[in-house]
Amino acid sequence: MPAPRLRSRSLRKIFRKVPGGRTNVHFKKRKPESAVCGSCGDVLKGTPREFPFRMRGMAKTKKRPERPYGGVLCSRCMRQEIIKKVRQ
Amino acid sequence: MIEIGRVVVKIAGRDAGCKAIIIDILDDKYVLLDGETRRRKCNILHIEPLNQKIDIKKNASHEEVSNALKELGIVALQTKPKPKTPKPAKKRKTPEQLRVQKEEKRKLRDLFKFKKKEEKVEEKKESTLEEKAGLAEEKKGEEVEIKTKQEKPKTEKKETKKVSAKKTEKKKS
Repeated sequence: MPAPRLRSRSLRKIFRKVPGGRTNVHFKKRKPESAVCGSCGDVLKGTPREFPFRMRGMAKTKKRPERPYGGVLCSRCMRQEIIKKVRQ
Repeated sequence: MIEIGRVVVKIAGRDAGCKAIIIDILDDKYVLLDGETRRRKCNILHIEPLNQKIDIKKNASHEEVSNALKELGIVALQTKPKPKTPKPAKKRKTPEQLRVQKEEKRKLRDLFKFKKKEEKVEEKKESTLEEKAGLAEEKKGEEVEIKTKQEKPKTEKKETKKVSAKKTEKKKS
């Protein structure tokens, strides 16, 4: 039986095969939720789902697409937004 | 709507939101753009045409496009071409310079490596010779002693044997 603090689902279970042949259960912190489009709520492409400490080490160009509203809106919503502005 | 001289806005990619002019129609899908964007071909689906138009030649140069866009109040993208700098040619060292370099290296070797080796060798030689000499003498002395020790009992044994043989003879007689 695992320790009481590990029995909640707040930690991720990882089943690791040990050299002896048994499977051990490792408990790991869950990753943060993936980035989402500000208007439609879709999961954003080109944005990594990583821990903050790992995101800090990454380059700025690896964290979001290089276009206006990159990392905020999805490409479809960005297009609509630009077309709306231009047509006004 | 899509014709040479039409002002458009790019919708997709890193140039999205930038205004440009169609310079050439390459295909039923692609056009050539220049202006705030980079001068490059672009899919028709990735541009939004505006209701402005400029009189311009087909395949106009970037200067012509930038001049034409100034009337509309749009500043064209100016990429600075890299200044052509000649590559630094490798200079070969003259034989005199090489000689000087070698001498310096040799001096350094003498300072750090060669001295240590000499000291070690000398120390070893002195110590080993003395020790060897001492050991040799000791060994000789020991050997002599051992020989004498070994010889003595042998002789005694022989004598005892002789004595025993004599005794047996006597008994037989």
